[in-house]
Amino acid sequence: MNPLEELHAEYRRELPAKVQAISQLWTTRQMKELQRALHTLAGSAGTFGMPEVSAAAREAEDYLEACGPALDAAQQAGFQRLFEAICSQAGAP
Amino acid sequence: MKRVDADVVYALTERGSAELSSGRTALSSTELSVLVLLDGKSTVGQIRARAGALTVEVVDKALERLLRSGHILPAVDVTSDHIDAGNFFSASVSEADAAAATLKANGFFVKFAQRAAQSRKLAAGQKILALVVEDDPQLAKLVRTYFQMDGMETRLAGNREEINACLRQLPKPDVILLDVVLPDVDGFDVLARLRQHEAVKDIPVIMMTAKATREAVLKGLERGAAGYLTKPFHIDTLLTAVKTVLGLAGGGPPKPK
Repeated sequence: MNPLEELHAEYRRELPAKVQAISQLWTTRQMKELQRALHTLAGSAGTFGMPEVSAAAREAEDYLEACGPALDAAQQAGFQRLFEAICSQAGAP
Repeated sequence: MKRVDADVVYALTERGSAELSSGRTALSSTELSVLVLLDGKSTVGQIRARAGALTVEVVDKALERLLRSGHILPAVDVTSDHIDAGNFFSASVSEADAAAATLKANGFFVKFAQRAAQSRKLAAGQKILALVVEDDPQLAKLVRTYFQMDGMETRLAGNREEINACLRQLPKPDVILLDVVLPDVDGFDVLARLRQHEAVKDIPVIMMTAKATREAVLKGLERGAAGYLTKPFHIDTLLTAVKTVLGLAGGGPPKPK
């Protein structure tokens, strides 16, 4: 495995932990950090060969941006669906 | 000189789209800004209004050049009976909001870098030094590894303090790759400061960011970025962009005759 392949493999290995960290931010409603973590995931996942994860993270980031800092019940449910899409694309539980 | 008609709508041709996505370009910052503003729906009048610091004359000249070079073409015939002119010309209260929404809409992905004014050839053993400002350690490592494989050296910085520390070191970097969303500083502000600082103002800066909006790309161009790559990107494209802004072989494109 060349160094680039190793880095890609490392990213894939650590992806579930990244998704878990996002889940934790969502659970604790740390919205600014959550948006930032989604932004980072949207930027990096595609570069590491996972464009679907990137797209799902970007959609969730855009959703939060559109909702503003306080989400009502319907918006929370909407975000939960988008987060589950990220988990599904990332193969995270 | 005949003024460009304010009612015309221009759209990017295939060549125009390619110019914003190939990782390299021979266009000027002004021409790039106008290309970024053209969404295939807005009239020239609306584009002029959104062009910020660019004067009407500058925008019009850029449009004429882009038209001549085949980067843009008229999108629709606004005199046609089939066009709902009201969409384009009504001065409704919401027009400014719509313009702002267009500029801020996420999903405007570009990959371009402006060619250096002069070609450059490295001396035997000479290595390019890149400062990579990226707070995602894995992405920073990927870029560094790839650059090393191509014979380049890198310095990594992930926050304001590290950026300052890296810029104080000698030799100065040949090129700076700059993320926008950083933990304690905005990359656009860093860009503006770099452009004002005598010691580093001539170092080409390529924005490398997940900020994928027309507004963000324009901000980068206005503040003097030599290139803009939205994430995600292919790492090859990043290398092409670096070589382009440095005038090295493997960048491009060749100077127009």
